[in-house]
Amino acid sequence: MTLRAPSAGAGAGRNWALLALLALASLAMAAPLLWTLLLSLKSNGDLLRSTRSAFSPPYTLQNYSDILGHSAVFGWLLNSTIVSLAVTLGVLALSSLAGYGFARLRFPGRAVLFIVLLFGLAIPEQSVIIARHQMFSALNLHNTYRGLILPGLAAPFGVFLMTQYFRATPRELEEAATLDGASRFKIFWRILLPLSLPAQATLGIFTFLSTWNDYWWPLISATDSDMYTLTVGVASSQMNFAQTNGLGYLMAQAVFASAPILIVYVIFQRYIVAGVSRAAT
Amino acid sequence: MIRWLLGPAVVAAALVAVTGCKPASRGPVQITLQRFFGACDAEFGSSTDVPAAEGECGIITTLINKFNADNPDIRVKVNIVYWPGYDQLSAELAAGHPPDLVTMHESVISDYSQRHLIMPLDAVLASVGVDPAGFTRAAREGVTRDGSVYALPFDTWAPLWHVNLNLMRAAGLVRDGAPVLPHSAEELLQQARQFTRATGKPYLIQSIVNDPAASARNLFTCLMQQNSDFFADPRRIRLQTPEARRVLQLFKQIRDEGLTTRDQDYTAATAAFLNGQGGVYIVGTWMIGTYEQASLQTGSPLAGGYTVVPFPQLYSGRDVTYADGHSWVIPTAKRSAQKTAAIARLLRFLRDNDFQWSRTGHLPAYQDVIDSARWRALPHRTEVARLVDTAAPLPAGVQRQFTIQQIISEEMESAITGQKPIDSALADAERRVNDLLFNLL
Amino acid sequence: MDSCEQTAAPSTRRTWAASKSEARSGLLFVAPYLIVFAVLLIYPLFSGIWLSLHKADLFGGSQFIGAQNYARLFRDPVFLTAVSNTLYFVLLTVPPLTLIGLGLALALNNRSRWSALLRGLFFSSSVLSVTIVTLIWRMVLIPDGGLIANLLTSIGRSPVAFLSDAHLALPAIAFTTIWWCIGLPMMLFLAALQQVPRDLYEAARLDNAGRWRMLASITLPSIRHTALVVVVIELILQFQLFGQAQIMTLGGPNNASLPMVLFIYQVGFQRWDIGYAAAASEILFGMILIAAMTQYFAARGRESR
Repeated sequence: MTLRAPSAGAGAGRNWALLALLALASLAMAAPLLWTLLLSLKSNGDLLRSTRSAFSPPYTLQNYSDILGHSAVFGWLLNSTIVSLAVTLGVLALSSLAGYGFARLRFPGRAVLFIVLLFGLAIPEQSVIIARHQMFSALNLHNTYRGLILPGLAAPFGVFLMTQYFRATPRELEEAATLDGASRFKIFWRILLPLSLPAQATLGIFTFLSTWNDYWWPLISATDSDMYTLTVGVASSQMNFAQTNGLGYLMAQAVFASAPILIVYVIFQRYIVAGVSRAAT
Repeated sequence: MIRWLLGPAVVAAALVAVTGCKPASRGPVQITLQRFFGACDAEFGSSTDVPAAEGECGIITTLINKFNADNPDIRVKVNIVYWPGYDQLSAELAAGHPPDLVTMHESVISDYSQRHLIMPLDAVLASVGVDPAGFTRAAREGVTRDGSVYALPFDTWAPLWHVNLNLMRAAGLVRDGAPVLPHSAEELLQQARQFTRATGKPYLIQSIVNDPAASARNLFTCLMQQNSDFFADPRRIRLQTPEARRVLQLFKQIRDEGLTTRDQDYTAATAAFLNGQGGVYIVGTWMIGTYEQASLQTGSPLAGGYTVVPFPQLYSGRDVTYADGHSWVIPTAKRSAQKTAAIARLLRFLRDNDFQWSRTGHLPAYQDVIDSARWRALPHRTEVARLVDTAAPLPAGVQRQFTIQQIISEEMESAITGQKPIDSALADAERRVNDLLFNLL
Repeated sequence: MDSCEQTAAPSTRRTWAASKSEARSGLLFVAPYLIVFAVLLIYPLFSGIWLSLHKADLFGGSQFIGAQNYARLFRDPVFLTAVSNTLYFVLLTVPPLTLIGLGLALALNNRSRWSALLRGLFFSSSVLSVTIVTLIWRMVLIPDGGLIANLLTSIGRSPVAFLSDAHLALPAIAFTTIWWCIGLPMMLFLAALQQVPRDLYEAARLDNAGRWRMLASITLPSIRHTALVVVVIELILQFQLFGQAQIMTLGGPNNASLPMVLFIYQVGFQRWDIGYAAAASEILFGMILIAAMTQYFAARGRESR
């Protein structure tokens, strides 16, 4: 092991204790996931008798083939993807523009507006949701993609992040371009935007994940099953009285619904880690 | 690189702006039907074979599939909601875009009818020849408000005692093939003790955890059986009464003596009865079909030993069981005559298939079905048919009955599990319910 | 001639013209976001405050009643329970998330394959939807057939009903939440650790400093700022507990796990009393604002001293 942070020195006993602690935490982390996977591979009948059967064969892929045949999961995944991507792209565009404006250009009211924005950071989504629901009702926006996407664009976090980032970027490059007579938008577009890629990645990941996991707003806005996002769709198929598709099927649905984003995560893990890392600096 | 990210952003924004406008539709009339009863597309997703389907979810799914197949000019789109779906319906009504046909418990119709959020259906039903005179008494009372019919009744249901005869026999509680049941609270305790001594298993299986209504339904039944008029004024409940105290004491004692399962939620309790973990499961009519199926399978703990009876009369007042019913309502909205006609045809179809629905175990909402030989030929229906006379809902004027049930169930649970003294739980329940009703708009 | 005039032109005029155009384009750059911000966040915030002063119905119709909704809230035992549940939940989640996140970051801040794998594992739950997390954890926690119950019965112990015990329900939800959310604090701390200048450690090593001393005198002070960020982010997030409680316990047993946001939801969409729900929302807003500000200024104050 080549450690970056110092670790050598202390006694081996302490190291073992720490390792054991880490192993325990990893187990706590992984066990629920494995349990879900096992349950999804059992027939509903077996599970109804006892979930303990999940620890031993026979296993089956029946639940998964049932999903492939008849499930609404695909629609939910599509909706979640459309909404999350649109919110992410929208936030990136709005935040970069505004971040550049706040960081580099002087205009009347800039300081006051930025302070208002900082206050905006502390406004929880949940505290405006009732009023927002009323507003969207009046505008006829419920059960549309617009209705799901627009609220996600309002969070000031992105503007704050991009402003900080642009402020920390050295001015020399821009000054050269200014002397060449480039317009402000051109400078932003050609020079600062490419430089801000790491911050964009960070913001994009944050935004995508939080939109993907949003629950309350789609629950009251996307009430038409055609517009269900993944969170709402999975909720609608749970906790139904009397007969349901069965536990194994539900668990398979959970695995199936999580698979795409987990795969994306595994592929982009390195960038996500790097991206999230940059947010802290 | 970020530039090619921003380009699509603009395109996406434009797309989003466009997707809001839906093209004018042609072809079949689409009706949106919103229901609970669960999702079972894996098993019944495309089946139209209604008689082969089992259970609430299977039967309603195949019924709608069949209606769609038989009526190519109508397309019924189904919204399945998290039970009971009223939060979602409220959000939809507030948004001004309610679905066209919605499942509704008869006990909550008042909430919506008084606010004109659902339509009186007299004319719609008449247009397809559905006559309220054909409803059972319970169903007619359940869907009528201020002289108008606000819903198409689908069934009447009540909490029943589902009995594992195999275990009861082992406890010496079967006579002439029928379970020996209590006629008083004391007998209930005695028989439960006898059962638990003999089998080592709890007498009762109860869904308590996270169950918004089960405990409250027990309380309502037991209060009605004592002729306690706890809702004399529909805007004020009275729970600080000797009658209510008696009921809570009974259920607390049952728990304290280990005569009931503990800490089970609905799913766990339902499975526990199937797995033979107790003698009597108090749950609604909807489980009859499922448990009957299990009793036909060799190897099942219920094999050859399942029956079901209405809630026994435990108090000397009168023989009565708290009941409710499922029904179909049409939320108020602007609709074309064509669409309304399509909804009416679907209503007629649902009424005509009430027998199929009653195979779930629910009591039919139509007298002709109850009188029919084929319904009587279904298992256990003779026992259950008594509900036609003994089923009683709360007074129709009581609003927010679901929230009330939830409050009462919560408070009862904390009394039964010993977290609160019975008296303060009843006082808290009474205060919370009355606060709710007082602050209605 | 152009260049000649440029150099000769009085500088004041030029700056004035430049700043005027700068102001114009500055406003153009920030305008798109500010419009969205004003319409979708600020307007609902104020209309929510206005709504909270009314007896208002979900389906229209309202009447001005001043601060009566607020007065009612402070007399409503269920609301007060929800407030204390929320504070308790924040206490149960934010410190562990911060400390465990820091611990994991310290343990996994190296380039071994195992560390990469474990970083992945600890972050993986963060990408799951709340409805899936709760589905998974319900199947871990329930006494009938849950994972923990199965393990307990296999060693001869009786299962624990986590979600139906008034003392365990909220801690169980908190545990679920920590499992779900641990990835982000870990990543933020990892990032901060990468930024600590390595020569500080070299110098300390020359001084023969032990591991704990290096941790206390170099590492921790260098990531103070990140710790503040983590605490504030988690405070804001965990104050808004909703989905886990709504799906796992419905706020029960007997409101023992009812958080403020679920209270707001129930009042708004089950009781249709949106004026009252809006008032509860404003209290939530106030609490988060105070908590975040306190953290922020406390840290600021310490830094400036």
